[in-house]
Amino acid sequence: MIGNRVRRVAEAGEGGVIRVRWIPKYSAMERVFHWGHTVTFLALAMTGMILFFPFLRPLARGEGGQLIRLLHRASAIAYGALPLIYVILEPRRAWMSLKSVFKASRYDIDWVKGMIPYYMFARHEAMAPQDRFNTGEKLNAVVIILGSVVFAVTGLLMWFGKGILPIGLFQTMVLAHDVAMIVTLCMFIVHFYLAVVHPLMWAGLVSMRFGVTSATYAQEHHALWYYGADKAKEIYEAQKAEQAAKEKRSSR
Amino acid sequence: MSRVAMLIDESICMGCRGCQVACKQWNDLPAEATIQRGTYENPPDLSAATWTRVRFTELVQGDGLQWLFLTEGCLHCGNPACVEVCPTGALKQHPTLGIVTLERDLCNGCGYCTQFCPFGIPRLDADVLSGEGKAFKCNFCQDRVTNGTLPACVKTCPSGAFKFGSREEMLASGKARVEELKPGGFPNANLYGEHEMGGLGRLYVLKERPSAYGLPENPQYPVVANLWQNIVQPLGTLAFGAAALAVMGFYFVARRSIKMEEVE
Repeated sequence: MIGNRVRRVAEAGEGGVIRVRWIPKYSAMERVFHWGHTVTFLALAMTGMILFFPFLRPLARGEGGQLIRLLHRASAIAYGALPLIYVILEPRRAWMSLKSVFKASRYDIDWVKGMIPYYMFARHEAMAPQDRFNTGEKLNAVVIILGSVVFAVTGLLMWFGKGILPIGLFQTMVLAHDVAMIVTLCMFIVHFYLAVVHPLMWAGLVSMRFGVTSATYAQEHHALWYYGADKAKEIYEAQKAEQAAKEKRSSR
Repeated sequence: MSRVAMLIDESICMGCRGCQVACKQWNDLPAEATIQRGTYENPPDLSAATWTRVRFTELVQGDGLQWLFLTEGCLHCGNPACVEVCPTGALKQHPTLGIVTLERDLCNGCGYCTQFCPFGIPRLDADVLSGEGKAFKCNFCQDRVTNGTLPACVKTCPSGAFKFGSREEMLASGKARVEELKPGGFPNANLYGEHEMGGLGRLYVLKERPSAYGLPENPQYPVVANLWQNIVQPLGTLAFGAAALAVMGFYFVARRSIKMEEVE
C-alpha cells in the first residue's frame, strides 16, 4: 500500500526550510475510487457532449457517432460499478464518509458566510471549523451522489426502455439526464477550481494523490477532524473574539 | 417550387396495398414474412423495412360495418419535432418542398426521433445492448420528386386514391372532396392535416373522425422537446460558461490577496 503512512520530514528547522508534519487522510482504496470516478465521469461527460452541443454535431454523425455512443455506455458501466465495488471493499469507511457527507451543522452556515472572505481574500479567521470533509466538499459529494443516482436511473431506462416505456416518460428521462449533467458538470468546474487551481488548497490535492495531508493545513481547514468538536469550538470562539476586539480597537 | 403534399383519399382507397409493394421496390426494402392474424392487414406494423403500410380498421356502426383503410407513413410535418431533436442533422426538412428526409449515413441510431414523433412513425433498427443501428422512415421518395416524377406509392396506386403536387392544390382538392362526401352519406368526412403540426405534408380525406382510423385528433408538438432544446440546452451552455468565467474571476482576485509564502 502506498498510503496510510505518516512521513515526517526531518525537523530541519533552520535555513528557511518549512517543516511539514504529514498525517493520513485518505486510504489507498479511497484514492483509487476517487480518481477512477474522475476518469469515468470525464469520459461520460465528453462522450455525452456530442449529443448536447450543436457544434459537436460532426462527431455525433454516422459510424463515429455510434462508436462514441458505445463508449458512453461502456464508461457508464464502469462509472456505476466503481462505487459498488468500493462499498464492498471498504464498507465501514464508505459508511463513515457517507454519514459525514450528509451531516450538516451550523458550521456549514458559517462556512458559506466565510466563503468569499476566506477563499478570495485569504482571511484565515473566516474559516469555520470543518470536519474531514468541509462544507464545499460535502456539497460536491451530495450533488455528485444524487446526480449519479439520477444518471443511473434515467440512463438505464433510456438504454433498455426504448420502445417499452411510454414516450412521455422516455422524453422526461432524456430531459432529466441533461439536467443532471448540467448540474454535476457545473459542480465539477467549481470542484476542479477549488481542488486543483486554488493556491490555498494545495494540501487537499496532495492528500488525494498521496493520502496524507499537512498537519498545519488540517488545523486550519479541518479543525473539527483534527482537534475534535470541543477544542475546535473553543479555538474558533477565541479566534472570533480576538478578531472582534481587533476590529473594535482599529475603529476607535 | 413551393411546399409539396400527398393527398390520400381514404374514401377511394380499396386496400390493395400496391403502395406498400411499390415503396419496397423503389427503396429496395426486403419483404417481411407475414402471418394470418385474422385480418388482411400485413405486416402488423411499420418497421425498418416497411415505411408505408395500409392500416385496416373494422368500424361497427349499428348493424353496418365500415372497412376503413389508412395509408400510414411519415406525415412530413410543417413543424417536425424529429428534426428538432435529431442530434446529428440526419433528419432534415427540405427548405422549399418541406419534405422531411432521413440521411442514413449521418444517423447514429440514438432513436430520439422514434420517441419524439407525435405520430410514432420512425422505426429504429438497433441492437439493444450496443445501441448501434439506424432509424428508418418514409422520405416521400425525395429522389423521385426532385427529378420530376411522383413518389412510388402515388405512381402505382391503381384506384387513384393518391394525388401529389403543390400543397395548396392538394388542400383545395381535398376540401372539395370532403364537400362532396358530406352530403353523399359521410357526414363525418374531414380533411386531416391542414393545420396539424404546422400543416402536414401527408393529407388525408377521411370518411370518419381521425380517431376512428387511429390518428390522433389533436397532435401536439411534444412539450418536452421544446423544454429540452429551447430552454434546458441553452441554459446549460450558459451555466457552463458562467461557472468557468466565475472561477477564473475568483482566481484572479484570490491570486492577488493570497501570499503563498505565509501559507504552510
